[in-house]
Amino acid sequence: MDQIITAAVAVVAVPLVLLGYIVLGERVIEALPDRLQVAIRPYFWALPAIGFATIFMIYPLVRTVIISFRNSEDSDWIGFANYKYFFTFPDTLTSLRNSLLWLIFYTSISVILGLVIAILLDRVRYESLAKIAIFLPVPISAVAASIIWKFMFDYQAPGTPQTGTLNALIGTIGHEPVAWLINSTTNNAALIFVGIWTVTGFCMVIISASLKAISTEVLEAARMDGANEFQIVRLVVTPLLWPTITVVGTTMIINALKTFDIVYVMTNGAYDTDVIATQMFSQLQHSHYGRAAAVGVVLFIAIVPLLVVNIRRFQQQEEQR
Amino acid sequence: MAEVFARLSSRAIALGLGTLLLVAACSTGGTTGNQGASSTDVTVWTAWGGDELKAFRDVLKPFTDKTGIKVHITTNRDSTNQIANGIAAGTDLPDVAPGPTDPTQVKSWVSKGALKPIETALGSDQFKSYIDNTYPALTTPPSGQSDNPYIGVINGKHYFLMVKTQVKGLFWYNKKVFTGTAPKTFDELLALNPSQYGGAKNIFCAGFESGAASGWPASDQIDNIIMRQSGDQIYTNWIQGKVKFTDPAIKLGYQTFLKEVSGSTVFGGSNTALSTNFAKAGDPLFNSPPGCLFLEQATFIANFFHQNKGVTAGTDFDFFAHPSMGKTEFDGNVNGFYDQFSMYNDTPAARQLLQYLATKDAQQIWANAGGTLGAIKTLTYNDPIYKRAAEIANGAKNLLVTAGDFMPSDMQKAFWQSLLNVTRDPGSLDSQLKHLDQVQAAAYTTS
Repeated sequence: MDQIITAAVAVVAVPLVLLGYIVLGERVIEALPDRLQVAIRPYFWALPAIGFATIFMIYPLVRTVIISFRNSEDSDWIGFANYKYFFTFPDTLTSLRNSLLWLIFYTSISVILGLVIAILLDRVRYESLAKIAIFLPVPISAVAASIIWKFMFDYQAPGTPQTGTLNALIGTIGHEPVAWLINSTTNNAALIFVGIWTVTGFCMVIISASLKAISTEVLEAARMDGANEFQIVRLVVTPLLWPTITVVGTTMIINALKTFDIVYVMTNGAYDTDVIATQMFSQLQHSHYGRAAAVGVVLFIAIVPLLVVNIRRFQQQEEQR
Repeated sequence: MAEVFARLSSRAIALGLGTLLLVAACSTGGTTGNQGASSTDVTVWTAWGGDELKAFRDVLKPFTDKTGIKVHITTNRDSTNQIANGIAAGTDLPDVAPGPTDPTQVKSWVSKGALKPIETALGSDQFKSYIDNTYPALTTPPSGQSDNPYIGVINGKHYFLMVKTQVKGLFWYNKKVFTGTAPKTFDELLALNPSQYGGAKNIFCAGFESGAASGWPASDQIDNIIMRQSGDQIYTNWIQGKVKFTDPAIKLGYQTFLKEVSGSTVFGGSNTALSTNFAKAGDPLFNSPPGCLFLEQATFIANFFHQNKGVTAGTDFDFFAHPSMGKTEFDGNVNGFYDQFSMYNDTPAARQLLQYLATKDAQQIWANAGGTLGAIKTLTYNDPIYKRAAEIANGAKNLLVTAGDFMPSDMQKAFWQSLLNVTRDPGSLDSQLKHLDQVQAAAYTTS
């Protein structure tokens, strides 16, 4: 019952309050001289949005930065100790290394695969069917995907029936089972692979949509000029797709940096598979709020340049219209 | 635009205010109904779900029938954190819920007055019989000390009401396979030749996988070694961060643990132990030919044997207590855990509930439901497994808690993962221990 009331308050009362704010405010503004009305009205209408952004985004951001310079009890300033911890402690360095692996391999492979698949499927008759197959993992939640792949990577004692699909497969060619998630040469690759599996469909769909927007006349013109298909892809299609690829790529980089669920569900960071976000979570869990905040700030600083690139790209597109 | 709003406004505002008032009225009405501050209601948080929750409801039924007090149970597996937040924010706490396991938290909550002494809840007469009847290791700090936060005793006062207990570090075996006598010492155990018993492949089975908590079964094994090898004093100091991981005593514990999980002693080799879920670890005991002779695990594992393999306790399988590590003075150290309740709101109903839970009648219902020991010494058990586990609990000189559970949580995670890492690569022992020292140095400070 309580939940229903809370939901009702959120759905009904909050808009009502906003409506009341606008109605009453407009009355006050209308009573003002015309020139003042023009000056005040935009700020008046933007104020609720600015208010929400301040309370829910700017304040937490500032507070996080402050906490990152304080001890876990929030009782004393400790300078850069939390950052020093982050950049010198072996565990956090491992997570930094792994996040870098994610950044490089997850981003490049998912975007390149998405691009290649989109271009290849553009030229076949069963395009939509194949696209559905590749897009299928996208709506699966990362937690469910991780559990699926945990079964795929399952390991049983050598000599007993292998219930993991991969080990059953390599067993048919007489290979000993591999402990994919434990073995340090395969575990990070296995996790990144799951990430790629869940997201390639997304990259493909976005790139494919922009591919469809390239007019066939351009391609025909290139063919008339004697370009072969590889040259067309390399010199005509890819440059035209470049804005889309940048947007998809930066989105994937952000995804890679904030990877959490796959690692948390499949290994919880054991056997040196921690990434920055799981590191931040475990610091929080262990009540080291300062350290967690420092990790958050580092992650934020790493992502800001990408956000800038993305926003610039959007602005350019706006201007072109 | 503005005129439209103006016309709409008076009606909209009237409607809005009306709705708001109505909502406010409903919501306050709704919440007061759930509070347990009255004398006929009590709110209880517990981590139990499923069968354990059902057993708890069965325990409470006679109480409600007799007193008319309604017990509102909420299953909450994050209760310690939520109560900590509640204490910090000054918001409502449940009347009765488990106390915190972290010793510093126990002390701080006692000093803040959030935890109410069991002495006042039970009254002096019942408190005396509670102490007399409960396993001494659950209520009595080591001799001469007035504090033991691990069992909720601070300045001589008790803040945990013990209701259930389990014994860890038992060696389970298939009675049709292992027909020999229980080895008295750890060396005798390691010297057994598994192939003599029904052609078993290895001495031990093990399964350390447990999702995000992977490694805890391994930590139980090493805890049972260290407490019997180097004694309760070093063991407790080590939990409190006063003994380093590179200390010879702890390193010896790791080396002994590695003998249990080496390629030749553990079924399927170390990768199998690391990949196998703890609940299925004992399955190879019942295969033919058997994969192993023994699985080291707590009392609760009997349910999983029954569930996975359809075998019956006492007739198909049994256990023996952890063998001596060769130091007779430490043989009385037993690893166990317990379920307890603390009182957060001192209300008449909450007192009555705790008074009831401390009775033999209440705990006997738990014992009858199976799957656990009560905290009272004189309960009767139908299940042969628990009958013998009760003897072990009763004979314990010290019932010692599980180390990881009482370390700071980052220490715990690093400790568990180090056991996984050395199992995978025994050659990394020294570097793992050195790393654990670093974590220890950082984990026990507040920065």
